Amino acid sequence: MNKVTILKSVVIIILAIFAIRLFVLQIVNKDYKRLADNNVLRYEIQNPPRGEIYDRNGEYLAQSIATYDLMLVPRNMAKEGFDTVMLANVANVTVEQLVKEIERAKRYSRHRASVVVKQMPKESKLLFDEGHYPGFYTNFRTKRYYPRNVGGNLLGDIGEVTERIINNNSYYTRGDYIGYSGIENAYEDVLRGVKGTKVNMVDVRGTVMGSYENGIHDKPSIPGTAITTTIDLALQELGEELMKDKVGSIIAIEPSTGEILMMVSSPTYDPDELIGRDRGNNYMRMLNNKRNPLFNRAVMSAYPPGSTFKVANGLIGLQEGVLTADQRYPCYNGYTIGRGVKCHSHASPLNLYDAIANSCNAYFCFVMRNIIDNKKYKDIKEGFSVWEEYVRSFGFGRKLGSDFSSEYNGFVPSADYYTRSYGRWNSLTVISLSIGQGELGCSPLQMANFAATIANRGYYYIPHVVKKIDGRDSLDAKFYEKHYTKVDSKHFETVVEGMYRTVHGAGGTGHVAYIPDMDVCGKTGTAQNPHGRDHSTFMAFAPRNNPRIAISVYVENAGFGSTVAAPIASLLMEQYLTGKVERQYLVDQIKSTHIAYPHYDR
Amino acid sequence: MTDKYSGINSKAGIDWTSVFIFIALMFIGWINIFATTCDLPFTSFEFGSKYCMQLLWMGLSLFVGMLILLSSDKYYYIYSYPAYVGALLLLILTLFVGRTVNGSRSWLSFGPVAIQTAELMKLAACLAVARYMSEYNFSLKRPRNVMVLCGLLLLPIMIILLQNDTGSAIVYCSFMFMLYREGVNGWIYILGFSIIGLFVLSFLLQPAVLLISLLVLYTIACGLIYGRWRQCAIYLAGTMFVTGILFFGSLLIFGTGLSFYHSLIGGSLLSLIVVGIYAYREKLQGLFLAMIAFVGSIIYMHLIEYVFNNILQTHQQKRILDLLGLESDLKGWGYNVHQSKIAIGSGGFTGKGFLQGTQTNYGFVPEQSTDFIFCTVGEEFGLWGTWLVVGLFGWLIIRLINMGERQQETFNRIYCYCAAGIILFHVVINIGMTLGLLPVIGIPLPLFSYGGSSLLVFTVMFFIAVKLDASGRIKSF
Repeated sequence: MNKVTILKSVVIIILAIFAIRLFVLQIVNKDYKRLADNNVLRYEIQNPPRGEIYDRNGEYLAQSIATYDLMLVPRNMAKEGFDTVMLANVANVTVEQLVKEIERAKRYSRHRASVVVKQMPKESKLLFDEGHYPGFYTNFRTKRYYPRNVGGNLLGDIGEVTERIINNNSYYTRGDYIGYSGIENAYEDVLRGVKGTKVNMVDVRGTVMGSYENGIHDKPSIPGTAITTTIDLALQELGEELMKDKVGSIIAIEPSTGEILMMVSSPTYDPDELIGRDRGNNYMRMLNNKRNPLFNRAVMSAYPPGSTFKVANGLIGLQEGVLTADQRYPCYNGYTIGRGVKCHSHASPLNLYDAIANSCNAYFCFVMRNIIDNKKYKDIKEGFSVWEEYVRSFGFGRKLGSDFSSEYNGFVPSADYYTRSYGRWNSLTVISLSIGQGELGCSPLQMANFAATIANRGYYYIPHVVKKIDGRDSLDAKFYEKHYTKVDSKHFETVVEGMYRTVHGAGGTGHVAYIPDMDVCGKTGTAQNPHGRDHSTFMAFAPRNNPRIAISVYVENAGFGSTVAAPIASLLMEQYLTGKVERQYLVDQIKSTHIAYPHYDR
Repeated sequence: MTDKYSGINSKAGIDWTSVFIFIALMFIGWINIFATTCDLPFTSFEFGSKYCMQLLWMGLSLFVGMLILLSSDKYYYIYSYPAYVGALLLLILTLFVGRTVNGSRSWLSFGPVAIQTAELMKLAACLAVARYMSEYNFSLKRPRNVMVLCGLLLLPIMIILLQNDTGSAIVYCSFMFMLYREGVNGWIYILGFSIIGLFVLSFLLQPAVLLISLLVLYTIACGLIYGRWRQCAIYLAGTMFVTGILFFGSLLIFGTGLSFYHSLIGGSLLSLIVVGIYAYREKLQGLFLAMIAFVGSIIYMHLIEYVFNNILQTHQQKRILDLLGLESDLKGWGYNVHQSKIAIGSGGFTGKGFLQGTQTNYGFVPEQSTDFIFCTVGEEFGLWGTWLVVGLFGWLIIRLINMGERQQETFNRIYCYCAAGIILFHVVINIGMTLGLLPVIGIPLPLFSYGGSSLLVFTVMFFIAVKLDASGRIKSF
């Protein structure tokens, strides 16, 4: 080969190597396209404003106001450093805090965005925009604002998502917020809206240079949907006021729809305390509070129903044909067979109406035994199972299926349960069930639902807290379905008369619940419990015909149902039915009633 | 032509194809300068911007190129030495009064204009070397001549190194291209590339693998020379046998045993004794040479290892590992190359489109308008763009070689080869660097990189070659 050919070959070979290398880089290897995109594209999450929550009359329960998170992509920070003091002032945090958060962001990822300062007000964002901080940017998101400061457990709290939620649900990323309890949790999917993305191009210093390809890859965020709840704000406010410093709960339901008009769990908290930068501290403080304000007693607690449950036994007796309204049973200050059940002194014997009105224990012991010892059933187990089925049909012993996912199942014992516990047993073994004691466990929601069922003469709608979701014609179909009990409607008229006499009759235990010019039906309860003084409870509805409100009040350790629970229920029904409270003296009396809770506060 | 002997002639004889390629490259180059340096979104042509400055330099360069085509070709031969001395003086002047940019003192300011004197020196060195080597009596076999030639090249190299401009100094390696054509022995080149290759391989390969490769390579070479394949096979088998004995024997006798590598060295050296006796008996000189080369290679390998581990400082070691791509520091040198590869690689087949390159527009590649301008081609014009540019450069260089070959005057031929070599060297080093194939050495891509001195010097260098070629062809009519 001559030298010229060799030289030319060398030139061609070298350039051919380049051509091949270019082919490999540009065509074969697909990584570089991604790497270039990583360099220049910044996906900004567009957080939608969270949907507002209204009461049934269109008053705000929860609003959303604009805040800005300070975000950081550590890789894009100025290499020569920047004025941390200045930025800390802008963001209104201490320099140490800021530096700590920046270090944390660096540890998390150099090229992914982290939140450095949460929920800055708009003023901070405007100041920030005036300065130049490479790598930092602000991200819009909304924060809850509660104009009326009511309904802590009802509305529920919103907090940052945990690592576990992120792993289980691809929608959420670090720094997102999610409803953890109450309505915020139940309607999270509706309230949160849909996050959008904005694809920006940034230069080598991290400065935004504009939208990528004129924004065709952008996805606008869809704001959260507003929810109109079934809550009556005035009622809720009055309820919380009356329950202040007491432990217990109130639930009121509109019987004709199953709409929850109010839901108080006391002690409650100011929902404002669980948002913003103080959330963590306040949350811990509430967690350590022995009265447990974070526990939604209205749907989660288990109380013995007490005497209010006598109505249920009466209904079952009537349906089973072992009881008539005029049937009289004697009471000798109690039921004397077996271990016996005590009773207070009242006229004797009584018929069913007056037994309910006077809350006679002995009467319902007779009824209970007649039901489960009925000869048409082959043994106690079969008899008891029949009783159990009736009780369950009233909504006890299971979740009702309301929109609160944390609902308590309740407990209704089965025949097997007693066989396991006692081996051999008879109707006397379970006699305390006749007066709503013993193994029974019911939530206030179940009791309120029972009141609504009686008000409806035999059926209920699943209690729910949402009246309307914006942009939707209807709610979940289950909320429009009537659930009938196993007791005929006609028998309900009988117990309603009994409950009417409780309030209106001479010697009725619930006379204190009387509202002038109003037909109120109610039933008191004084629930014995292992924690100390009896719980004061009252179940009622009004008016007698076409009832508009059914209510259940529990005040822990307050003694007789007539002393605290009944007046509270009465005031609330008055407020709802007349729009005002005339009996201010009763309000003051309730508010000044002091109840001691030694087992919580020790 | 009426005055064909005066050297002042009209358009006849000019290699228009080459001129066309040259101007096309220059134009494409400017397009890329524009894409790299204009402010987006582009609204109006801005005077004082880099692309505008480059356009002015282009105009000036082409004007000077025209003057060269219209002027006499005699001057270049006559004024080659004065040009060399003048450029050398400017270079020395720069060393004292020059402006320092990026750590090297290589800029000389004339009022508003600053030039890189090292660029001028390239041209002057071409002329002077061509003149000296075309002198009557010059022979590469005469040591005196070779020494003067080396002096001509080493003088500017040393001054440029003093300016701390390593890249421009390395450019003088490109004269080796011309020297090969003029008769320097090819073995020197093979030796040179072998030394570099062995250096690189000693880092990239396991010692034992490298040793086996060398063993096989030398055996095959001997086989090719003497055609005694059977003996070659016997030799390899024998070496392996001895190695095996050393390996397992030492294992049995001493328990710990020699490593495989040391057994292999022992085996190959022991077997060399047999080869030596064989070569002596058969009077095979070449075999002796091969043996010496083999032993030399082994010694060289160990020398590299020793120097690297015991003499070099940590930062020097890092630099070498970085050059060889064994350790990549994405914050330092590695960053440029990494971003450059991203820019080129993300271009795909058609590229992202003119002014659409994200790496280019948002400044991810440092020094993009100068050393890394090829990234813009890759990113915005894709594979067809890069292949076009590489192809045009290749075509231009081949045409310069052809141009040199058809010259009757030795001066003209050597000059053309010098120009071809210098352009080739710049293209290879620069593009090789942006592709991550070669180390980062800061030298411009001819006609593409932003900078007036480089553009002017390459234009003048090219048009002198065209002019010399044109007059030569006229004379030969």
